Amino acid sequence: METTKREAATQSQKLMVFVLTMALYGLATLLTELIPSFQAGIVEFSVEYFLFIPLTLAMLFDPLSAALGAATGELVFSEIMLGQFGGLGELEKFLTVTIGVYVAGRMVKNPANRAMVGVAAITGTGLQLFLGMLVDIMKVQFAVEDFEAVAGLPESVFATEGFAFLNDLLFSGILFCLLPTLFLVPRLYGKIEPLLGMQPRTEKTFLGGINVKVILGCLAAFVVAAGAELLATSGMPLIEWEADWAESSTALAVGIVAAAVLSIIVLLVIKKRAEKPQRAQA
Amino acid sequence: MNIIEVQNLTYSYPAAKEPVLKNLSLEIEKGDFLAIVGNNGCGKSTLCKTLNGLIPHFITGDFEGKVTVDGLDTRENDVGTLACRAGYVYQDFENQIVRPTVLDDASYACMNYAMEDYRERGQEALSLCGLEGREDDYIWQLSGGQTHLLALAGAVSLRPEILILDEPIAQLDPSHADRIYEVLRKLNEEYGKTIIVIEHHTEYIADYCRHVVLMKDGQVRWKLPAREALSRVDELRDCNIFPPQVTAAARSLQGKGVRLPDGPLPTTVEEGRKYFDGLVWDGACPACAQAKGDEQGGSQSASPSAVEFRDVSMAFRSVKGEDRVVFDGLNLKVERGEKIALIGSNGAGKSTLMKLMVGLLKPQAGEVLLDGESIRRKKTESLSRKISLVFQNPEEMFIKDSIEADIAFAMQARGVENWKERTEQLLEQFRLTELRDRDGRLLSGGQMRRASLAIGIALNPGILLLDEPTANLDMATRREIMEALEAMKEVTETVMIATHDMQLVCEWAKRIVVLYQGRVVADGDRDEIFGREEVARLVGIRPPEIFTMGRALDERAYCYTVDEFTAAFRR
Amino acid sequence: MERKAKKKLSENILDKFTIDFLRSQVLKNAYGNDDTMIAKLDPRILIVWYLFLGLVPWFVSDIYFLLGCFLLVVATTMLARVAGLVLFLFGIGVFSQTGYLFIVTLLFGGDASAIVPLLTLTLKVACCSLASITVFSGLDPDRLSNGLMWFGCPERLSFSISYAYRILPMLMEEFQNILLSFRLRGNPPASQTFWGKVKYLAYQVKTIMHAFYPLMLNTAKRSRTTVEALEIKGYRLAATDKRVKKMRLASLKVTWDDLMFLAVSFLWISLSILASTIF
Repeated sequence: METTKREAATQSQKLMVFVLTMALYGLATLLTELIPSFQAGIVEFSVEYFLFIPLTLAMLFDPLSAALGAATGELVFSEIMLGQFGGLGELEKFLTVTIGVYVAGRMVKNPANRAMVGVAAITGTGLQLFLGMLVDIMKVQFAVEDFEAVAGLPESVFATEGFAFLNDLLFSGILFCLLPTLFLVPRLYGKIEPLLGMQPRTEKTFLGGINVKVILGCLAAFVVAAGAELLATSGMPLIEWEADWAESSTALAVGIVAAAVLSIIVLLVIKKRAEKPQRAQA
Repeated sequence: MNIIEVQNLTYSYPAAKEPVLKNLSLEIEKGDFLAIVGNNGCGKSTLCKTLNGLIPHFITGDFEGKVTVDGLDTRENDVGTLACRAGYVYQDFENQIVRPTVLDDASYACMNYAMEDYRERGQEALSLCGLEGREDDYIWQLSGGQTHLLALAGAVSLRPEILILDEPIAQLDPSHADRIYEVLRKLNEEYGKTIIVIEHHTEYIADYCRHVVLMKDGQVRWKLPAREALSRVDELRDCNIFPPQVTAAARSLQGKGVRLPDGPLPTTVEEGRKYFDGLVWDGACPACAQAKGDEQGGSQSASPSAVEFRDVSMAFRSVKGEDRVVFDGLNLKVERGEKIALIGSNGAGKSTLMKLMVGLLKPQAGEVLLDGESIRRKKTESLSRKISLVFQNPEEMFIKDSIEADIAFAMQARGVENWKERTEQLLEQFRLTELRDRDGRLLSGGQMRRASLAIGIALNPGILLLDEPTANLDMATRREIMEALEAMKEVTETVMIATHDMQLVCEWAKRIVVLYQGRVVADGDRDEIFGREEVARLVGIRPPEIFTMGRALDERAYCYTVDEFTAAFRR
Repeated sequence: MERKAKKKLSENILDKFTIDFLRSQVLKNAYGNDDTMIAKLDPRILIVWYLFLGLVPWFVSDIYFLLGCFLLVVATTMLARVAGLVLFLFGIGVFSQTGYLFIVTLLFGGDASAIVPLLTLTLKVACCSLASITVFSGLDPDRLSNGLMWFGCPERLSFSISYAYRILPMLMEEFQNILLSFRLRGNPPASQTFWGKVKYLAYQVKTIMHAFYPLMLNTAKRSRTTVEALEIKGYRLAATDKRVKKMRLASLKVTWDDLMFLAVSFLWISLSILASTIF
């Protein structure tokens, strides 16, 4: 009895964190989607401007719920609601965000410790960006046959992707993730928990640092993410459909058209018939 | 038969030092219409959450004693089973609605409990709550009152025997509030539901409830029939509850030694009519004359009006179809030094009017003038030294992590030289010095209001606008706000308050502007507004009960406060 | 020139391009088109339709086929009455992916021959985006989440979608009010000079960031009630109850209109294939 009660309570707390993160980060990504992106010279702010929101919440509450909530929020508010859903490729973003936020949340033992919060924030952001970079590099590698053979290609890809990564991390990572998180976590610590009916995170309630299980879990998730992204974008050259069509005869195409027309006629007829008895009844 | 039995309940929240409920026992009969009253923080909401099993199943903590609801021990039954016995409507009810459309939300609980007829149940609940025809609407298309009815329908759909409502009419105008209570009465009388409300508005208790429970410090003081309970004026006042004005007047006349019938005091105008029978109105009494004299105070000078609306039109884009027109050619002048109350039903345009004045909204046509200058081309930020707006919801005014920082924010941003001293002084003035480091959101209702007022006048604005400053407050807190308003008199010349609180209007305002469907339908002092019944009927405002009482006894009596009433009527 | 335009855009984030405007556009997109033909279709049919039009064009480079698909999704997008802002974003999205490539090619002395491959790419991108806009913006949120659930998506996701649509208006209003507080009491730097503009922009970005502090706390207060209410309404039980899922999905019904929609789409696509074989 007692244990089920406690379980219901923790379940509900997790749900609360999920709902909270989803709503806030969803709103934030909706805004970024709507605000045109800034570009100043070669420096492009392509980082998630508002990653500090789930980072902050993951450090204060259950990291996994916050991470999943953030990823779901982004998916639902900015992708689905605005119809900007990009198919399988979204899975990559979903999982890298989840991993980054989750790891950052697990790292913080004491949210009042600014150094710890700062390290965790920049690690989480870095991880998310780094995984994104890895996927990007792999994309090129898969897409271009004999990747190694093309002179200078690997170097240039590594160089540009690496530069983009560092740029994002050092510029927007610090400006939009590290600083706001450092600002928010100590301020919210001890204040936001009572509003949700929870106790602030202490050494006791802390889940324990990063262990092998966490790393393995993240790795597995990353493999899925990379796989999905590769499937989504570099499937193009793998399947060559156009060749088949060019050779196929017009007759076949005519056949397909005829079938389509026929199916429409059949549908119309059936519909008419189905409507008649209804009308008779009415 | 008792439908609810609470025995020796002691409960404390997780990590709390003191228990909220202390050895509390209570029995509630089936079919009762019961009001729970008590000052803020006495454990009313906590008690209600023990009745539907949220405590101890969902919110843990130390729970001792026994609660039986409809024959079920709450500790041995899960929240789902209990939800079908006792429905709950929160004070912040809009957060309890989780689905995008009306019928969907009403039937959501039934669907989750796998009831095959969930749609029919939802439909039935909607028609019980008077929401037929709105089934496919989106939640945000509903007015505040309708949203509350929907939250109620969500609870009713499970066909519980008991319905619990936490401050159901806190933010509503009288006509919406009446509608909620009429629905509750129907559920109680025709369907035999047991209704429990947490309620500050004793006028509604007098009109609708059968029993009253007074709580204090986590315990039940007493449970009495409504009339008898409301007659205990002094005890209620001790717990910061306003007794009905009629009752207070009777008590006060008793105290003055006026000969009145024995037995319980009157609680409604109807009862008052019999009780006060034989009293005569004395139109020449000094209180009446003085009240009259006060009203001549509005200054009429040649200088430009503080605020002027010239043919202002304003419409909002709507999601579907036509734009929603709020104002069409509105004209209004506010003179310096006026104390204006802005009244009208929910959605009449009160908040929009205020936002136009501070420049947060720009009119589509016409001009808004501040001290004779159009504000069309001015930046909102530059107006804030002249005019300031205190939001209805104080939580939206707290943007920093302590109230001290919040009060100082606007002054710092503008480089006001002595901002430190000024902040100090404001903290002192509003008795917030000890709370200076706390986050505004974590304060009690009254402290929050005080803090929001301090923030509002930080820049010494000549004009102050207050949106519903007394909504949802108990007596002590309300008095505090009134005192704060009084204290601000020297600084802010002109004050405008948008409110449903007619007692506040009558006690404070020198001029009353009535908005109805975006037009000013009446404008004048209180005699002109409340003396014209057709205005009140059209707009759905209601004068204070004591005013109605006075006029019921004598057509010529215009008494707006209990003091005026007791001074003017004698045997 | 472009820089200037960009500056102007960013300067107006809080002024003309207000949260109020965004709110009305997002609401319009989310709720304003529930009476269209697209919104009435069966979500499962539409999802299958999307899977075809969102994926297949990526694998095909035939210009007639792509053109056919493109015209089809343009037609459905018009039928779904998507809000202007979403279409504007779509335009920006397509341009950022391919349009600028074309300009760059021309700048570096490329000629019209570059048009064809770029057009192909543009059509692919446009086709997939418009298909997703049709389905995700055009469908009623609740029907969409039911449809996804039918295909085995986690219950949490379909709940999130419905809940997102419920809470968005509230959340945006709250956010807007907090920003209003900042506007009333804050004091942004003057924005006449170039540096002023940069500072002004930085100020606004900072304001938005700071606005999340109160928003987080206020939303936390709300979510507590919400989760308690969800518990009372049996959400946690229902998530694991098979009967509930069945009941929810029982409302889905494939009608003649759905089949007709599929058949017409099919006819159109096959006609474009025919065209590509003839020419």
